[in-house]
Amino acid sequence: MSDRRVESLARVICEYSLRVEPGQLMLIEAPALAEPLVLEIVTRALEMGALPRVRVAAEGTQLAFLSEAAEEQLTTLLPSAMPEMAAIDLRVAIHAAWNTRELSGVDPAKVAAVREARAPLMELYMRRSAAKELRWCVTAYPCEAFAQDADMSLAAYEDFVYRAGWLHLPDPVAAWRGFAERLRAIADRLSGVRTLRVLAEDTDLSVGVAGRTWVPCNGERNFPDGEVFTGPIETETTGDVRFSFPAIFSGREVEDVRLRFDGGRVVRSEAAAGQELLRQMLAIDEGASILGEFAIGTNYGVQGFSKQILFDEKIGGTCHMAVGAGYPETGSTNHSGLHWDMVCDLRSGGEIHADGELIYRDGRFLPEFAPDLSPPQG
Amino acid sequence: MSAARLEALASILCRYSLEVQPGDVVRVHGPASEAPFFVAVTRELTRLGAHPMLRPTLPSVEAAILSMGSDEQLTTVTELDRLESEVPDKTLTIWADANTRYLSAVAPDRQALWSRSRRSLSDRFFERVASGEIRWCGVALPTRGFAQDAGMSFDAFEEFVFGACHVDDRDPVAFWRGQSARQAEVIERLARISELRIVAADTDLVVDVAGRTWLNADGRENFPDGEVYTSPRHELTRGHISFSFDATYNGREFGGVRLWFEDGRVVRHEASRGREFLEGMLDMDDGSRYLGEVAFGMNDEIQQSTRNVAFDEKIGGTAHVALGASFPEAGGTNRSGLHWDIVCDLRSGGEVYGDGELIARDGRFL
Repeated sequence: MSDRRVESLARVICEYSLRVEPGQLMLIEAPALAEPLVLEIVTRALEMGALPRVRVAAEGTQLAFLSEAAEEQLTTLLPSAMPEMAAIDLRVAIHAAWNTRELSGVDPAKVAAVREARAPLMELYMRRSAAKELRWCVTAYPCEAFAQDADMSLAAYEDFVYRAGWLHLPDPVAAWRGFAERLRAIADRLSGVRTLRVLAEDTDLSVGVAGRTWVPCNGERNFPDGEVFTGPIETETTGDVRFSFPAIFSGREVEDVRLRFDGGRVVRSEAAAGQELLRQMLAIDEGASILGEFAIGTNYGVQGFSKQILFDEKIGGTCHMAVGAGYPETGSTNHSGLHWDMVCDLRSGGEIHADGELIYRDGRFLPEFAPDLSPPQG
Repeated sequence: MSAARLEALASILCRYSLEVQPGDVVRVHGPASEAPFFVAVTRELTRLGAHPMLRPTLPSVEAAILSMGSDEQLTTVTELDRLESEVPDKTLTIWADANTRYLSAVAPDRQALWSRSRRSLSDRFFERVASGEIRWCGVALPTRGFAQDAGMSFDAFEEFVFGACHVDDRDPVAFWRGQSARQAEVIERLARISELRIVAADTDLVVDVAGRTWLNADGRENFPDGEVYTSPRHELTRGHISFSFDATYNGREFGGVRLWFEDGRVVRHEASRGREFLEGMLDMDDGSRYLGEVAFGMNDEIQQSTRNVAFDEKIGGTAHVALGASFPEAGGTNRSGLHWDIVCDLRSGGEVYGDGELIARDGRFL
């Protein structure tokens, strides 16, 4: 039984997110279980004249490799990896899993080593992306494992995912175009701000953002999307933050994270569960205890926490910040092997002040500061 | 399929067939539905210090590209395609169709166009295999689709496949070394022959193999294996051959195939099923009407046809010829995007003559 929403998702990704052009070489990466979406994207890309190529993962192979690999194997890129990254015009990464805890028995140092070895690859990726030679999009395919993490049946989770992409609307592409305009206006307003102060339960955090660039995320590089983010000034974050939702690292959950910052750096960290992992990750390098990202989630089609960061960081009415690597395009200079997003709910009593002025309350920008971001009803 | 059998098979393939060395980049490609086998091979490769280059495929995507692709989309060889064949030191191909008719909706000329445009890659690949620069092995796994074509239950088919591979033997590698020695004796005799004549039901074919090298297929390039083969002087084939078994190839079925050769070239053809497909293949390119291979199947564990050439061409007591690409290491010079095996059963009254002298009867070398 085919789901027309899968076709619609593929259409939005090809036409809106990637703006596929004839002759472009497109690489689609996914676990094999995302086959229905892969097939729809291939179909749409062919219709648009592109050259789609597919790279799927078979269940269990990543764990088999990580379990057996020696240091040298973990840190060696295949000789094809860099030339591939140099050759492609478009890349789609589809997130899905058979079991989100598949790697829970693997030493996190091994996962970190693989990530570190991929740094030159990511650098080439980001450089080509910044030079507009490569367009990319990260999306998700609803699967049982993600549904289970979200405490939902697969059918309910499919509704959640497709509503998050506004695919239930008659013309999702038009809805995203309208949203992109309004989000751009917010990013423009925020770019004049020097210091943001976030107030919520057990949270009073000041983040310096003067001169940094705010990036509106309008569904081109993530789908679904909806956030504005920047890279905070590395030495200015001060105060306390308590994250409402568990922080998830490679399938492991750290609950009720509380961080205290002083002079930009985490000086105290606590968690109700997973404190050891939290401290280990914050110490992996110099940049791991400094914020690389501060962002406000603006997709009001996403309401519940589902333990998938692609959705959670977009929840309309939340803010999130990442310890570790920042995005150079924001002006961030923080480098790290880590980039770990943590989400703070602002919908019940949360406030954001910009240079002393209240701009955001109970999960919404005040009307005098920014246009309404609610998606059209359908 | 039991994990132990898959591990044993993976071990034979990595250690015996491909002789994987530390640092080798080993590409493994085949249907993603064979995940447990991908896992077994990944473990073994990683233990051996190699770098697995895993390329599970989705047949649905292959069918979509072939049926929807424009001429330009089918003929463009991208940098990604080139890297796939240039980068690996060793390649393992997994043959395992969940449904052997998955390409039945693709027009034959689209498939031919795709294969033709990849000639430069396949030619180069065969050359590198021939020169020993890279190693390749293709393994056939039991699937529901293959079992169905064979008219067998999956369990029975699985027993058949692992039996043909000798995976359950106490020392499978010792078996394959012994098989290699037996085949070497046959090769010694064949190497002295210039002209082979194969006579069987609706078959009387003459191929010239003068000066060509016979090769010993002993589980290094195919699994299961068991054949001796060479590439004939492709302009000199004459006579006719009929395919003894129905078969599926490239996602479609054909049956009742007969071919007539003059000066090496197919000049007449017949097929009771899959005629259109046959014609598409014959007209693929300049080399597709000439023979690239002549061979004798020598695996005595394989006795019945399963409509799958990976097994049928190994049946002890059969001969086969292939249209299209020849083996440079055998001295073959025919180039084509096609390599299509046609099996002829010799077990009931078949005869093979070498330079006029009877050398095999009823599928047995004298």
